[in-house]
Amino acid sequence: MVAKKVTQIAIYGKGGIGKSTTTSNLTAALSLAGYKVMQFGCDPKSDSTNTLRGGTYIPTVLDSLRESTLIKPEEVIYTGFNGVYCVEAGGPAPGVGCAGRGIITAVELLKKGRIYEELDLDFVIYDVLGDVVCGGFAMPIREGIAEHVFTVSSADFMAVYAANNLFKGIQKYSNTGGALLGGVIANSINAPYSKDIIDDFVKQTETQVIEYIPRSVTVTQSELQGKTTLEAAPNSEQAKVYKRLAEKIANHTESKTPKPLDVKELRDWAAKWGDNLLALERGEIRSEAAGI
Amino acid sequence: MLKIIDQPRYVCALGAMQTVQGIHRGVPVLHAGPCCAQKLAEGIAGNNGNSGYISPHIYPCTNISEKETIFGGEGRLKETIENALKVLDGDLFVVLSGCTVEIVGDDIAQVVSEFSDSGKPIIYVETAGFKGNNLEGHQWVVNAIIEQYLAKQPPKDKIKGLVNIWGPVPSYDPFWVGNVRELEALVASLGLTPNSIFGEYRGIDNIDKVPQAEFNLLVSPWLGLDTVKLLETTFGTPYLHCPTIPIGAFESTHFLQTVGAFAGISSAKIKTITQAKEKEYYYYIERNSDVFLENRSMSRRFSTVSNAADALSIAKFLVNDFGLFPARQYITDATPEPYRDAIRQYFKEFQYGIEADVLFSTDGYLIHEDIKKTDYFGSPLLVGSIFEKKLAEKLSGNFLAVSVPIKERLILDSSYVGYRGGLKLLEDIYGYVLRKFN
Repeated sequence: MVAKKVTQIAIYGKGGIGKSTTTSNLTAALSLAGYKVMQFGCDPKSDSTNTLRGGTYIPTVLDSLRESTLIKPEEVIYTGFNGVYCVEAGGPAPGVGCAGRGIITAVELLKKGRIYEELDLDFVIYDVLGDVVCGGFAMPIREGIAEHVFTVSSADFMAVYAANNLFKGIQKYSNTGGALLGGVIANSINAPYSKDIIDDFVKQTETQVIEYIPRSVTVTQSELQGKTTLEAAPNSEQAKVYKRLAEKIANHTESKTPKPLDVKELRDWAAKWGDNLLALERGEIRSEAAGI
Repeated sequence: MLKIIDQPRYVCALGAMQTVQGIHRGVPVLHAGPCCAQKLAEGIAGNNGNSGYISPHIYPCTNISEKETIFGGEGRLKETIENALKVLDGDLFVVLSGCTVEIVGDDIAQVVSEFSDSGKPIIYVETAGFKGNNLEGHQWVVNAIIEQYLAKQPPKDKIKGLVNIWGPVPSYDPFWVGNVRELEALVASLGLTPNSIFGEYRGIDNIDKVPQAEFNLLVSPWLGLDTVKLLETTFGTPYLHCPTIPIGAFESTHFLQTVGAFAGISSAKIKTITQAKEKEYYYYIERNSDVFLENRSMSRRFSTVSNAADALSIAKFLVNDFGLFPARQYITDATPEPYRDAIRQYFKEFQYGIEADVLFSTDGYLIHEDIKKTDYFGSPLLVGSIFEKKLAEKLSGNFLAVSVPIKERLILDSSYVGYRGGLKLLEDIYGYVLRKFN
């Protein structure tokens, strides 16, 4: 029998932009859609999977490594909402050691253990911290790990900047069989210009927005209960957005190499949007309709 | 651009572990991965002086693994220092860090500071390979001894006539033990008291005397300048810089004149000393002059392929003392750029206005290609490392290995320094010439 192929997805984005929230809701939605899903938190803070497990922390892969180089699955894999598997890479205390190397080691340990195959998973979703600051945090997008990368970004310049940096990382590994970009998950999109900014960014970098996720108090309320929106408010409008995202990602097949902007292009692009937003505040008409 | 170094002639900064080993009862404590010490020792010392009271096989080492890389290795280092202090009877413990622990940011200074009350001097040096090579590492170790140990001792009075000798690098200079002894003997012949921290039975007692010296004597083209300048600012000790290691009568006499003048010794007294030494020296040269003059299997042109110190001192000897003519000289120790002009100038100061062209290169392939294109007007003499052996054979030339990697020679206490050192160098060069001919 040919083994089922596990689809591995990496979610990146600037710190604090809502990656873990989006990832956990995506995991929950995929699980509710009938898939067997593992969420793999790749952040030394080890809090990626909290809302899938009632707000609780779990022992990490690297905690086990302190004791032995042999990983016992039962020590690092915990089940959460609707039977999803939760894993946290873990890492050193802040200010010591090398968290990047920790991510590499944790991912390799699980990969070597053929745990994904044994669990008969459909999806493994890596929730990777912040910027791709060193090679360790690029681990999930290297050859043989994730196939598709999605980046969570708001319309804030620093979030876009981080996304653009990630695109550079993807571009680098694209020649050696690394993961390609599925698209941008546009988060906290409420103001009309937010959508325009993100749309323009994906156009410039030749990628796509996979879903627009509005900022919602339902998400905050759910998280305060230690739950995903899918668990705490399954019938809410926000839950429908996450289900739509899950469906699109489940059906996603073809990712591409993005075309990141260089430093000057990015600065010019941001300056242009700065002017546009100023004009918007002043009530100037600068759209195509300006010529009418 | 990526560059592959063909024929490495030095190692990374962690190779300075052998500087610590060169101090009697000095103990290097390595915070590095397994096998670093073994490989570096093989790369530098090879056969020569690779065992002893403390040796690379038994250096205390944290042997850091993936676990320490991820979570930091400070705890492991602390444990290793604690145990080293328990089981090794040493006088000076020097913690040396390797690449990985520097990359992950272990705070070695903090860990070492926790042992300030251990009763033994313990210092640290950051010797990650990416920071520099073993020559720079050597200097960092010596400077760390000054800054972290000597500068913290109560001030002591200067001792009239006491001279610190700096120059030979333990292990990296295969003749370092003998060279230190010969430099001591030359200085002592002037009635001064030499003080070296390296070699047998000197150790911590001589280190403790360093601040008391009347002056520091650096015998090296560039390495050690930082050290003598540091000693000047720390202890107010003046220094004398002699770029050329004296080999043979000409340079040894010049050396004694220079050191003697700096120490305020009368020129008449110096002349008495040098005349006696020269008289003996030229007796041996004279009675073998037929070998040198009638020989047909070596041309009069030579190249050195070596570190700046050996290249300069051997070239000076072969030109000024022995009357050979220098072809291009190759310096392979990655001499830092700021020192290069001065070194080029030293090679323009031979007798009779003779000058030598100098090429600084760490690429053995390029050096060998250049040598192949050179016309030596006959069988050349190549003085370098084992890497030049086959090249010399291919060119039907003559060859002597004097610098690392040396491999084919066992060196106990021999030296090329001083009057007797010049004779020894001639014995070794012409030993090869005669073997080839007969």
